Amino acid sequence: MSDVPQSRPGVIHDLGYRRYDGLREGTATIARTLFITGLRHAYGLGRSGKSKVMPFLLLAMSVLPALIVVGVVVLTGMSSLPISYADYTNQTQLLVSLFAAAQAPVLFSRDLRHRSIVLYLARPLSAPLFALMRWLSLAVALWFFMAVPTLLLFVGAMLSGLDKSDQVTQLLKAVALQTLLALLVAGITGLISSVSLRRGFAVVGSVMALIVLTGVVTAIQAIAADQDADAVSVAAGLFSPWSLYTGLANAWDAGVETFVPVDGAWVLAYALVALLLVAGCLLGLVARFQKVGSR
Amino acid sequence: MMNATIAKLALQALLGRRRFYLLLAFPVLLIALVSLITALADGDAAFDILPGLGYPLVLPLVAILAASSVLGPEVDDGSIIYLLAKPVSRYGVAISKWVVALAATLTAGALPILVAALITGDSTRAWALFVGALVAGTTYSALFLAISAVTRHAVIASLMFVLIWESLLGNLFTGVAWLSIGQWGLRVGHELSAQLPDPANLTWAILASLVVTAVGVWFAGDRLRSFSLRGED
Repeated sequence: MSDVPQSRPGVIHDLGYRRYDGLREGTATIARTLFITGLRHAYGLGRSGKSKVMPFLLLAMSVLPALIVVGVVVLTGMSSLPISYADYTNQTQLLVSLFAAAQAPVLFSRDLRHRSIVLYLARPLSAPLFALMRWLSLAVALWFFMAVPTLLLFVGAMLSGLDKSDQVTQLLKAVALQTLLALLVAGITGLISSVSLRRGFAVVGSVMALIVLTGVVTAIQAIAADQDADAVSVAAGLFSPWSLYTGLANAWDAGVETFVPVDGAWVLAYALVALLLVAGCLLGLVARFQKVGSR
Repeated sequence: MMNATIAKLALQALLGRRRFYLLLAFPVLLIALVSLITALADGDAAFDILPGLGYPLVLPLVAILAASSVLGPEVDDGSIIYLLAKPVSRYGVAISKWVVALAATLTAGALPILVAALITGDSTRAWALFVGALVAGTTYSALFLAISAVTRHAVIASLMFVLIWESLLGNLFTGVAWLSIGQWGLRVGHELSAQLPDPANLTWAILASLVVTAVGVWFAGDRLRSFSLRGED
């Protein structure tokens, strides 16, 4: 054995024992492993049986209506789906929001509450990258949660012989919108649960940001549309993740109805606000993990 | 049965630090929204916020927050065993904690609904809704306390009851009203003002509310009596 490389900076576990001279995976592998573990933990895989109940119960509840819709379409021979792919996600938003609120603390609170974050950060993985990977895990888990029923609807539509090109366009639009929504919701709930470490308060905080805020925005939108204040109604939609989603879906013709059609410069405003919100949550998460990691 | 010291400690846990602001956010948000809409829109648009958002969402959320803050953190970090080691009846512990959660629910959940409803005018309707909120708030707090004593996922389980069972399925199937705490409260309020909906039978609504409240508190005490600590799952 010759020419053993000197221990790398930033690694603290070299206590003078016999060296490990196998292959050392880099930061990329650590990040990938962290991402996959986070994704599995979001669904309770690799954790106790009890923690699998909640995510899979919610997933089953969001898949069940899609199965019923597919059954009805196949049996009655409809010429189109009674609900568009993007609108299905919108109609089941309560389940998506609950899933995000329930599982975000699993990924973001536990490491900070039990201080095991210090052990993670003792490895050559930086705090910003750790935050980023956690966020990506939750976003992909959420995206998966929305994509499963969507895909089921699509398979049902294909099997019952609906127009292929039409359905594919709608599906791709819905998937793109769901991706944006997943990034957005993961950022918001992740930030809330990394600040509020008690699980109960993180969940209530997330529910406030996702469900209560959306309820308030919807009420304002409905009332403003009722009073013929169209601009107010569209502008109110900028203030909650779900109204951003429905607004963009409406503007993009993905089969979602809003109180007032979103068009013109508003579309750009909606897209910009959504992207800025994602960026803002990410910056907040990175700042939070850097602060906690340096203590 | 009631133990003043335990109630005082529960109150401190409830009002301590940041969670107090979270609890305060709900009434402030509700009253501000209703005032804003009363000022800007005409017609009955502002009152519709209350049966649509304030009563079915804000009231149960306040109850969940209150019930889980008096019991949840202690169960979560296991420090409840120090409380249970004291020679105090476990039912007394449950009742003392419930009284605090109830007071918080009624102050931060039911009272703002009354204030907001009075802002929109028509005081009969406002008082009717307040009575409904009192009945529902009492029942909610007992049920959520019982759930907090059973599972670590109390908040999510309670939220699923409120959002999926009462709101989502309740809007689809009218029969859910017979097993929905919010609807029982509305039914009692209906006696004062016919503007509230009339979902179920009055006797049933009153009896069911009483039974759920009593059984909820008793069950929380019973769970504490045979409490066992488990690790993080």
